[in-house]
Amino acid sequence: MLPVGLASDEAPAHELQHVAAVPIAPAATRSGAPAQPVTYLFLNSEEAAFIEAAVARLIPADEQWPGAREAGVPNYIDKQLGGAWGAGERLYRGGPWQKGTPSQGYQLPFTPAELFRTAIAAINGELRAATPFADMRSDEQDAYLRSLEAGGKDLGGVASNVFFATLWECTVEGFFSDPVYGGNRDMVAWRMIGFPGAYASYYEVVDRHGIKIDRAPTSLAEDVHGHVHVHPAIPARLP
Amino acid sequence: MSQFVQPNSVAATAIVVALCLTAPGHVLAQSSTRQPDAKRGAVIAAQGTAQVPACAQCHAFSGASDSSGTFPRIAGQSAYYLAKQMHDYTSSARANPIMSPISKALSADEIADVSAYYASVDSQFPPLATADAAIVEKGKQLARVGDAARAVQGCNNCHGPDGAGATPAIPYLAGQYAQYISSQLQMWKRGFRNTSPESMAPIAKQLDDQQIAAIAAYYQQVRGQQEVPDATDASAAKR
Amino acid sequence: MAERLKPVDVVTVGVGLTGAIMGKELAAAGLKVVGLERGPARDTVPDFQSPTIHDELRFAVRKALMQDNVKETVTVRNSVDQTALPMRRWIGFLPGTGLGGAAVHWNGQTYRFQPSDFIYRTHLEQRYGKSFIDPELTVRDWGVTYDELEPHYDRFEYLCGTSGKAGNIKGQIRPGGNPFEGFRSREYPTPPMKEPYYGALFRKGAESLGYHPFPQPASTLSQPYTNPEGLTLQQCVFCGFCERFACEHFAKASPQTIVLPVALKNPNYELRTNCQVLRVNLDSTGKKATGVTYVDAGGREFEQPADIVLITAYALNNVRLLLNSGIGRQYDPRTGEGAVGRNYAYQTVSGVSVFYDSDVNINPFMASGSSGTVIDDFSGDNFDHGPHGFIGGAYVGAIMTNGRPIEFHPTPPGTPAWGLGWKQAVARHYNHTVALTVHGSSHPSRGNYLDLDPTYKDAWGLPLLRMTFEFPDNDIRMSSYVTEKTVEIGRIMGGRIVAGAPRKKPYTTTVYQTTHNTGGAIMGDDPTTSVVNRYLQCWDASNVFVVGASAFAHNASYNPTDTVGALTYWALDAIKNKYLKSPGPLVQT
Repeated sequence: MLPVGLASDEAPAHELQHVAAVPIAPAATRSGAPAQPVTYLFLNSEEAAFIEAAVARLIPADEQWPGAREAGVPNYIDKQLGGAWGAGERLYRGGPWQKGTPSQGYQLPFTPAELFRTAIAAINGELRAATPFADMRSDEQDAYLRSLEAGGKDLGGVASNVFFATLWECTVEGFFSDPVYGGNRDMVAWRMIGFPGAYASYYEVVDRHGIKIDRAPTSLAEDVHGHVHVHPAIPARLP
Repeated sequence: MSQFVQPNSVAATAIVVALCLTAPGHVLAQSSTRQPDAKRGAVIAAQGTAQVPACAQCHAFSGASDSSGTFPRIAGQSAYYLAKQMHDYTSSARANPIMSPISKALSADEIADVSAYYASVDSQFPPLATADAAIVEKGKQLARVGDAARAVQGCNNCHGPDGAGATPAIPYLAGQYAQYISSQLQMWKRGFRNTSPESMAPIAKQLDDQQIAAIAAYYQQVRGQQEVPDATDASAAKR
Repeated sequence: MAERLKPVDVVTVGVGLTGAIMGKELAAAGLKVVGLERGPARDTVPDFQSPTIHDELRFAVRKALMQDNVKETVTVRNSVDQTALPMRRWIGFLPGTGLGGAAVHWNGQTYRFQPSDFIYRTHLEQRYGKSFIDPELTVRDWGVTYDELEPHYDRFEYLCGTSGKAGNIKGQIRPGGNPFEGFRSREYPTPPMKEPYYGALFRKGAESLGYHPFPQPASTLSQPYTNPEGLTLQQCVFCGFCERFACEHFAKASPQTIVLPVALKNPNYELRTNCQVLRVNLDSTGKKATGVTYVDAGGREFEQPADIVLITAYALNNVRLLLNSGIGRQYDPRTGEGAVGRNYAYQTVSGVSVFYDSDVNINPFMASGSSGTVIDDFSGDNFDHGPHGFIGGAYVGAIMTNGRPIEFHPTPPGTPAWGLGWKQAVARHYNHTVALTVHGSSHPSRGNYLDLDPTYKDAWGLPLLRMTFEFPDNDIRMSSYVTEKTVEIGRIMGGRIVAGAPRKKPYTTTVYQTTHNTGGAIMGDDPTTSVVNRYLQCWDASNVFVVGASAFAHNASYNPTDTVGALTYWALDAIKNKYLKSPGPLVQT
């Protein structure tokens, strides 16, 4: 376990290698292979433990379908925070910073990486004396998440509801985005809902009202053999 | 602009209406769904029926046809697509001196069955002459990027990653015989094939003979897994 | 020190839809034209290729094709007693950038405004009396009529190849089209799009209530088409990656597919990309523009002299450029005086969700940006407003454009916001829900306006545009009424659950509600209360034309682009046939 306060970019990546928790329900993969271990590049092991446990409550697994943890959402979040988006891509960062009304949206100076780091440090700091989040029972975890969601708690300068909303958005993104980004492993979320994915040409069938489209979904990053080549650091701009 | 479908996130005036009004079932037209019988299809493929010769005579029992490329490879092809072609032959939307009388002499159930059979098989590729590398490369560009000057989009946009296909309606091109691909594109170019009049016909008309040959050469040498056969697509029986 | 370049005849600030059309036409007329685009050059090949373009996270969520907020944004507040704060990320509206502008990644929804929209105050007062309009609203007649614009609507639609069914040809009502529309001189250039399931369900429900459904007019094309510029578009394949995405199939009308290649072939036309225009320069009288000053990608400053300056930078940027150039008098909401920035308006939208049984496969991912079915029975003044006490209205329809799951995962009211119950509801309802849209007018009011922010600046050190906007009570009442009517349609459509939510105050930037920002440099016949005359010529500098939705005196029930296109051709006509022959003010006051 790294000392509190040591930023992830001060330690070599191999010291941060963290094997993802064994999934409750192994992800249904095309080839039947189990979930791969994750190399975290941004999250330290304390942060990763929180993220893994939190996303597992936000989108849990059930008998039918895996949840966010099995789908690789922690990996997605790690790569986003460690990449351009986490560093503040496309974010207006000029001051002064003023509180604003709810209609005016996000008005904090934090980049996403800073937001997560600050908020999770405050959460882990608060819970260390009691029970770390990852060690709580799931109903306790849910209650804690609800308390974050309700707001009213200051996490090192981040309102807890702002952190919760960002964490939730990232979880949904990691669950439903193209697997090229490291989440939605084996397109399990797309299979769950029946979204066919990136290859999308429906002229012939759009007027076959009610037709059931149940082909395996296709990723933008897959080749003709069905292998998805993951590239989590795609920037949000046209080259 | 996107649609607005998050009534949870706004003060919703929710009206729960338990309607016994008929769900719009009449447009589904999938009443008595007889499941296609791939085993019976195999028998038809191998032996024919009282009215038609065996498919295997031209397409091989494996669906690999032969290396002449006169008869398309149909192993692992979309069942929906195969059935649609035969219904097009029956209705004369498509015309071929061999396939037209065969399709007309098959019942809708037999068409569904034999389509399900061929959709479920995979087979080897016969040894084929290697095409000129420059021509294959040109075909690859057309497959992936298209031709901007002629406003023709890349084939893969619709036909899937390197022509893997996109069930139900769009056939694979990966591994299809060059002779067959080029003959069909020429048929569209010259106005002899009348299906897909708004997609394939204008595209083919924009291509010159060298481009057609290049596309055909490229796809013939693509080796990929065919799509997971979709033998459960009941709608194939409803054309 | 800015380097002074060789003078040209025309400079356009921005090469989006309006700049591309203007640039091509004036170059073809023999003028030397420079198009300055602040964003990068891009084209279908190599930039808009599938499958990479079919990436919801990158393009729809991170907004990769939009303006980059690191450099420039807009500050927003609901009223003058608040402090405007920057939109640090685009959510509520999404300004475009780059060659082709937002028309690269629009949905292609192509509606004309109605004849009554252009004589709005006169029409309403005639029908309902002088005291019917809420005094807070600053609605007025535009200064141009529908009849004058009709040939230009036609020209723009034929440029795009718009797919649809005419409802009124030269006064004759035609079945299958919109019986409420203003007359057209001829049919659409291509037939309507195929109707997906959601549209068919809506059509049936609407018809059973006596409404008049028609296919949504689409500049995502139903079949291949060669436009009058000789450019060919392909047929749309209903891929479900339309708004916020560029089209790899050449099937969506965008400057790249409908006009730019012709401009770029003409040696009279020069395109310069990655050039941020800082201001329009004026001569010593302050009444004539001498050209513009811009900064290129490397940070070098240039002065481009020009005889004519066309501000074609998108409605919001148009207004900001006028203000940063000192052209025109800033509108002050407290006194009601001034012109630049007044009559800013938006769009009043809401939605209704219809949840079906799990054997009803809606397949929302099979859609184009414009493959919907709509009714006009509640738009504009198409119904008697007398009993209702509001003006304006909304078109209603099943206009689903996608099933992209990060942003589209509908759940019925009462579903938990996260957790197992949420996930199971998403799985249950994703493919079995129809979303109806209520797309309503937005009326200008005294307190809604644009000006320069006193605090926040862009990357070049210039003040950002400040937006002060709240929905007028009138529009809230309208939304409530039409949304309730839409809920009735939803019930008839056969869903198990119908949930609707009208638009409510306050206006928030945190929920996307169209990028239909209008007004701020409005057309009129009085120079003290408008910025441009009926030809979009600036009252304060007769060699400056301000082209775009900034000219709208109000925003009607419809998407703005068709009207922007028509005004572009209308202004172009005036430039070519009047101004070039005799430079100077085209309207005397």
